[in-house]
Amino acid sequence: MKVENIQSQMRKGVLEYCILSIIKSGEAYPGDIIEAMKSAGLNIFEGTLYPLLNRLKNADILSYRWEESPAGPPRKYFSLTDKGLAFYDLLESTWSELSSSVEVLINRTSEHKNEEESTTDS
Amino acid sequence: MKKTININFQGQLITIEETAYDLLNQYIQSLKEYFRREAEGTEIVNDIENRIAELFGNRLKHGIACITDEDVESIINTIGRPEEFDLEFDEREEKSTIPPPLTKSTDSQMPPPVTDEARKSLFRKSNDKILGGVCSGLAHYLKIDPVFTRLGFALFFYLLFWVYIIMWIVVPARELPNNVSKRLYRNPNDRFIAGVAGGIAAYFKIDTWIPRVVFLLPLIFKVFGLARIPFNSFNLFNFNSFTPWDLSINLHFSFFIAYIILWIIMPKAVSVKQKLEMMGEDEYLKTIRATVSDNVAQARSSRADVDNANIGASASATPTIVPEQSNVSNIVGAQEQSATPPPYIDEPRKPYISQQSERSGCLTALVGLLKIMFFGIVGIIAAGLMISLFALIFTGAQFVPLQSLFINSGFENNLLWMSIILTLAVPIVGMFAWIIRRIMKAKSRPFIGYTVSILWFIGIVAGLVLGFNITRKFSTESLQENNIVLTSPTTNKLFVEMKRYPLDYFSVTPGTNSFTMGSPGINNIELDNLPFYNIEEDSLLFNSIELRMKTSKDTLYHVKTIFASSEKNYKAAKANVRDFDFKLEQNDSVLFIPQFFKTPMEQGFRNQFVVVEIFVPSGSKLEVSNDLISYQIPISSKAMRRKYGDDYGYKNSLEWNSNEEYVLEGEKLTETRLLNN
Repeated sequence: MKVENIQSQMRKGVLEYCILSIIKSGEAYPGDIIEAMKSAGLNIFEGTLYPLLNRLKNADILSYRWEESPAGPPRKYFSLTDKGLAFYDLLESTWSELSSSVEVLINRTSEHKNEEESTTDS
Repeated sequence: MKKTININFQGQLITIEETAYDLLNQYIQSLKEYFRREAEGTEIVNDIENRIAELFGNRLKHGIACITDEDVESIINTIGRPEEFDLEFDEREEKSTIPPPLTKSTDSQMPPPVTDEARKSLFRKSNDKILGGVCSGLAHYLKIDPVFTRLGFALFFYLLFWVYIIMWIVVPARELPNNVSKRLYRNPNDRFIAGVAGGIAAYFKIDTWIPRVVFLLPLIFKVFGLARIPFNSFNLFNFNSFTPWDLSINLHFSFFIAYIILWIIMPKAVSVKQKLEMMGEDEYLKTIRATVSDNVAQARSSRADVDNANIGASASATPTIVPEQSNVSNIVGAQEQSATPPPYIDEPRKPYISQQSERSGCLTALVGLLKIMFFGIVGIIAAGLMISLFALIFTGAQFVPLQSLFINSGFENNLLWMSIILTLAVPIVGMFAWIIRRIMKAKSRPFIGYTVSILWFIGIVAGLVLGFNITRKFSTESLQENNIVLTSPTTNKLFVEMKRYPLDYFSVTPGTNSFTMGSPGINNIELDNLPFYNIEEDSLLFNSIELRMKTSKDTLYHVKTIFASSEKNYKAAKANVRDFDFKLEQNDSVLFIPQFFKTPMEQGFRNQFVVVEIFVPSGSKLEVSNDLISYQIPISSKAMRRKYGDDYGYKNSLEWNSNEEYVLEGEKLTETRLLNN
């Protein structure tokens, strides 16, 4: 059990949620999404973003349109579909539940200093 | 100092260092390899390429003259390498297949990796074929020029035709890269008819006139031959009228044929790569240099050629490379800038398919004709085989005269046909269907295979049921004894003779009415070896009769007949026995034993037999006709042994011979001539 694996899995779990939340706040092309995530402190490889967007698009959660860019090739601007909005709401509720429960758990364990080490080890 | 090239990347004109370009190209190849497994992988790669182009554009806007290695490296680092995707993001099903890591190889001409299997095994080469790609596949396997394998097959056409056909059917097709650096091509730039001579000249690095003269030799011969005709008329060199005229005709014809064959089997060198392979690199570069320095415009017009040459290197990353800079600049060493960027080509190329060597129009027609001929021949052969198969199956019934003896009409007969057709015809029909579909390259449909297998299995089951039914018919045996007391002959001697069957039974047709002695097949059947002797209209004639002699307990001659027959149950067996037609006749001192016993046809063969026991009183005489000698052969059955004991047939049985007068003395038949002596 490597710590990197767990870390990447944690990140993986919230990646779609993050991307969808960025797109929900307004149409975005991959460059915007990368920028937004970077500025929020989430560094991911762009190479991971593209297949993810592609899958979300194939799942009818996202749709896109082409737009000419001032410089460079035309860009794909992504937006949420109706299905995507519902999907996002589900993720949102799951996340809020999860984060609050995790919060509660972590606060409780930090009170019991004796058990702290054993919990981090496991 | 580094060389830069201009590339058209996603519609953007990008100036990039050559090394950086190689790096980028490798990176994009690795992405393609990685995303191949993903649905719409090409679109993802395209998106990434778009992004890279945008990033390049940003950099160039900031006043940087060209994209360097470092720029490419940093972009790769932000986008991430396929190996890194796996670490961060691993949802794919095929975790075991790790994408090949980026190689640092600078050989951008290297073809994409071929699996070991493809390298070692024999395949038909689908991207370089004239008929089925057998020759080119074989050449790929042997790592030689396919022209030579093709020539081999063309020369030994009569011997290798079937080999070719079988390989065409058996060997799977696959797209294979070229593995020969030097190949024999037709040279389109140096051609008189089709460029065969030019190609040969280029291959052997000789002047083109040499092969041309060789091909024209017969024409020269012809002239000589014409001049020699008067000389030849003196019959000095007349070997079977092998005149120089004939020679020249033959030669001319054979050289013409040779040219046509070479025309067919030598691919045309279309792309630069093929021209390189044709001439060898040095030679080709020399001609390019000459062309370029003479006329740059001409080089530009051959852009398409250069494209093809770069396919190995440029996938969709560089749909077009301005030729002056990519290839030609290497040679000339000039740093010419292209005035107009080449048009943006959207569609990514498939590396192998575009390398397919082109056939000329005349050749395509010829190949088409050959294919039609081939399918015609194969079709005729297949049809012939099918017809003969069905003929065999349907006439097979007539070759089996025993069929009606074992199998009742109706259910069992249907079973028989079902099992014959399903077990024999269905797989053969299926096989033909498969071969035809294979040749026609129809998509394989597994359900056909399943259907054929299921039908075949049903046929086997039908056969088993039939076999079980037949063996059941022999399961129960019934015996019927019949005792007759003969009236005492006046001479105290009994002659036992055979009563010949009155009809000319050899002309009667067994099995079916159309079956005659003259028909094929029957001549091989020994009538005497059949369990029954013959079939007469509605009855079966059996000669399975045994004749025994025993001692009579009183002073009278007795005859005991035992009829035996098997059936699936006792009742049926008993009914069978009752239907036996076997009548002994006595005419004073002569006892006639019929040649055959008759049973109704419907009974079939049920292991019927008859035992005749003659009980001879003590002191009486007996003589058996020579006709009955074969009735000495003992017949036995389970029921017989059970009823009369295992030693039945030996116990109390008297030895006798034909045409011999015996007298019963004590417990023994004694020849009367011995007594007289």
